Formats: sequence, C-alpha cells, structure tokens
Amino acid sequence: MIKDLMGFVLRAVVVLSGTALATFVLLWHAPGDPAQAIAMARFDALLTEDVIDQVREEAGLNAGFWTAFRAWVGPLLTLDFGRSAVTGRAVWPDLLVAIRYMLPLALAGLAIGLAISLSLAIVAVKRPGGWLDRFAIAIASLGTAIPAYWLGLLLILLFAVHLAWLPAMGARTPEHVILPALTLGLGVAASLTRIIRSGILEARGQSFLPAIRRRGVSSRGIDRDHIAPHAAIPVVTVFGLELAFLLEGVVMVEVIFGRPGLGTFLVTAIHARDFPQVQAVIVLTALMFVTVNLLIDVVYRVIDPRIGARDA
Amino acid sequence: MRSVVFIAASMFLLAVLGPLLAPHDPTAINIPERLSPLNDDYWLGTDALGRDILSRLLYGARWSLGLAFAISLIGLWVGTLIGLVAALGGKLADWALMRTTDSFLAFPDLVAAVVIAGLLGAGTWSLILALSVTGWVRYARVARGIGLSLQTRGCVIQARLAGLPPGSIARWHYLPWLVPSLTVVWTSMFARAILGISALGFLGFGVQPPMPEWGTMLLDARIHLRSTPLQMVWPGLAVVVSVLAINLAGDALRDAIADDGNQGTRPHREKSRFSLPMPSPRHIRRSR
Repeated sequence: MIKDLMGFVLRAVVVLSGTALATFVLLWHAPGDPAQAIAMARFDALLTEDVIDQVREEAGLNAGFWTAFRAWVGPLLTLDFGRSAVTGRAVWPDLLVAIRYMLPLALAGLAIGLAISLSLAIVAVKRPGGWLDRFAIAIASLGTAIPAYWLGLLLILLFAVHLAWLPAMGARTPEHVILPALTLGLGVAASLTRIIRSGILEARGQSFLPAIRRRGVSSRGIDRDHIAPHAAIPVVTVFGLELAFLLEGVVMVEVIFGRPGLGTFLVTAIHARDFPQVQAVIVLTALMFVTVNLLIDVVYRVIDPRIGARDA
Repeated sequence: MRSVVFIAASMFLLAVLGPLLAPHDPTAINIPERLSPLNDDYWLGTDALGRDILSRLLYGARWSLGLAFAISLIGLWVGTLIGLVAALGGKLADWALMRTTDSFLAFPDLVAAVVIAGLLGAGTWSLILALSVTGWVRYARVARGIGLSLQTRGCVIQARLAGLPPGSIARWHYLPWLVPSLTVVWTSMFARAILGISALGFLGFGVQPPMPEWGTMLLDARIHLRSTPLQMVWPGLAVVVSVLAINLAGDALRDAIADDGNQGTRPHREKSRFSLPMPSPRHIRRSR
C-alpha cells in the first residue's frame, strides 16, 4: 500500500511538472506580441513603442526562456502565482474569489447529477429491458448529445423568459445558482446513469448471490452489502473523467449565465492575454485533477480490497 | 440501428450537398428582413443581419461535421501510431508515452482546447490544432492496450523470430486487430469533436464570422434570446441530432463487434507461410 502510494505521488509529480512545462512553452511561443497586448489592455490606446518596451521590461518578457521559466516556477512552489500582467494585482486573491463562485455551482451540479442518475438507474434496473429502462437509456443518450451551452439557453428560455420563475444572469442571490447547477447536473446525470445502471446489472450477476439469498439474507441486505459496493466501483473509476466533464461544463455554464467563476476568469484572461492568470488557472486545474485522481486511487483500494491483494 | 445509420448518413449527405440545396447565400446580408420569423422565403427565418438561417445551417454542416471528421481522423492516426509505438517500443518508450497520456487525461480536454485555441489566436487552424492536441489520447490508450495483449500471440512471436521489423509487425499483425475497437473509439471521438468545435465557436475561439458554424450561430443567436428564441433552437438541434446519431451508430457497432467477438471471427487471414512448431513465450527474448 505504502509503495503504491509512493508510485501514485511520483506519477502525480511527473504529470504536474509536465503540465507546467507544456503550459509555459505554449504561452512562450504563442503568436503575437504579449507586451503589446498587455499594454493595450492597460492603457487602452495611444500606444508608443516606448510604452510597449516599458511593459515588456516590467512583465519580464525580455528574459530568456529558462530564466523566465525559473522565475515563474520558483514562487509557484509556494503557491505564489505572481501578479496579473494587465491589472498588476496579485493573481491568487482574484483566483480565490473566482473559485468561491465556482465551488457552489460545481458541488450543486454534482449533487443534482448524482441524485438524478441514481434514481433513474435504480428505477431502470427494476425491470431490465422494460419501458422504464429503455426510457432511462434514451434520456441518457439524449443527455450526452446535448451540449451544455444549448441546454443552458433552453433552460433560460423556459424558466427565466417564459415562466419568469428564476433569474437568468449573474450571481447575486442563491437563486442565481439554480439554473446553472441544473444545466450542469443534467449533463452529469446523463453520463452517470448508464454507468450506474450497468454497474448494478453486473453486480447482480455475481455468482455467489444465489447462495447468499438461500442462506436467508434479505434482499435489502443483499442490495446494501453486495450490490451497492460492487456497483460503486465503476462509478469511482469514471469519477476522474466525470470531474473533467464537470469542469468543462463549469466553463461553458459560467459563460452562458454570466457568473464570475473560474471559467469566466479563464476566458477573460485568455482574451486579455493575461499570461500569469492563464498559467494560474491551468496549474490549479492540473493540481486539482492530480489530487482527485490520487484520492480515487486510494478510495478504489478501500472499496475494492481485491485490487491491493492482487498486486501483493 | 438502420434508422440511426440512415440519420447519420443523411446528415453527411446534407453537409456535402448543402451548397446545392441552400436557398440563399449564407453570408448575404439583408437588413430589412432581419430577425424575420419563419416564412416562405426564409424557411427557418433570418438572423440579426438578415442572413438565411437554413442556408447557414446547411453550409455550417461543412464546418461542424467536416472539421470534426478531419480532427477525429488526425487523432486516429496520431493516437494509433503512438499507441503502437508504446506497445512495441520497449519499456522506456511505453513508460514515457503512457505518462504523457496520463498528463493529457488528467486535464479537461475542452479547457486545454480553449487555452490553446485562444492563445494561438481565433481561427480555423488553431481550432484544428487545439482539438487534435487533446484528441489522440484515447486512441493511444486503446491501441496500446490491445497491442500489449497481442504480444504473446503465436503469429507475433513467429514474425519476430522470422526477423520482421517492428513496423511491419505493427502493420500486418497488430493493426487488423485494432480496427474494430478503434472504429468504436473513433465514433465517440467524432461526436466529441463536433461538440468541441461548437463549444469553441460558442466561446468565440472557433471558426470566425462570417463563416457559418453551428456554435458561432448559437453565439449570435444568444443575444436575441428574448425576441427570436427560435433562432437559437436550430443550430443546437443540428448539433444534438448529429452527435446523437453518431453516438448511437457507435453503440450499435460496439454491440455488433461484441457479438462477432463471441463467435471468434478473425479480422483477417494470416499471411504467414511458416508453420514452425510454437515455442512457449517464456523462452523468447523480445527481439529488437
């Protein structure tokens, strides 16, 4: 177990440094003059060569590749993301604000997605092949094909424009989170329903179940102790991918609903060519994913003892 | 199954024949007729600049479906190559390539694509590059997985003993076995590419105006959500129908392959004329 864990951590470090280097290379070689873009964002117009040169000096764009890379990575190890090239403000506090807007949305979306997919899958497997089952599969297929931005617009059209029940844009009140979270949750539910459904069906096919049943274990007990844990394994496996899906969804949903979260932060930073901000978002995302994948690997071993045992 | 393939095929037919069928020029601006509802002249109405939405949808299919097709094929080619190199190239190559795919899998595709496309400057080429950079990983994983399972097959070992170079082994003994699974992966990546292109278009990083592309059309329509909600429905519907058709066709294909696999059909006849007695794999050093 300890050895496995070391392996995971090593892998995480490799992945993180690879991502950091790739990000830096990409930004370094991005076409266009970043100094000019930054100067435009800062001073709007009336640019002279002097101003651009001054900005270039300030932003450290004169240095060589490795000097610049070291200057960026060094503070990064202490979670210091530097200062925004456009506003000159420290990146981290602004990023924290963005995360604070993103988290409730992501968590609510995940909760809605889990609730819908669980209930849909459980209803579906009551009678595999029945009309409810086929209905659930059809909904799930349709759900994976509907892009979040279209679904979001449709929900705005229905709930904000026609019915006028919920606010569409912004993030002022808790009510503002409902529509974005619903958009996100429906997408998550669509991809999870199939996995949970097939997980349960597969768990039911385990060869030892009839024996346990004949020993007099109640069907509720079987569901709880033998079906649920087994069906949870594939769900945990895809959770990393699901998180990626969630984050992609967050980017789109925040832009549609005008929420000032991490996605909006990223898109704005890219448009302004604010490299420190873009770098910060990417590194943070990679860090998040590596951590979650690490946790998944551990949880995996806890819920499925066979995995650790097989290696040992 | 048949109806799904029919829908997918007709989408493609529409994409190819779009210019012939389109009743108007997709970029022709007609301000007096702007935001007009459905009528005899403009079957699906017009957008904010008075451009015919039906024509834009038909031309847009070339961008949305055509680009997605190209991107998924680039991914297929690159990913298969990398996966095969990982499977055949020895421990070090395998380790390095698989950690690279780990890095890619540990990052949301769309976010990476947004960053790449955004920084390279909006345009078709950066769109293709952005989605291809993230699009090869799944192919590589599948190709490598199957490749590793083929390593101990008789034909592969015999080919190695006969001195066939790794490239030819990959071509004749690995590739045919990869085709079914990779085709299934390809359908799902194709669908993802359609979604990716329209998502980037919607964020303003994709195909640039005045070219009609479904995601960009959605972006245009978004502002007029209250006045002409139908304008937003069409491009979204086009995306959903194509993605759904491709996904379902992929599902059907996967089921068909699973049935086929149970009957033990081989993807191609072995061409080897040798009939050596087979040594057991343990005694063979990987020769390269």
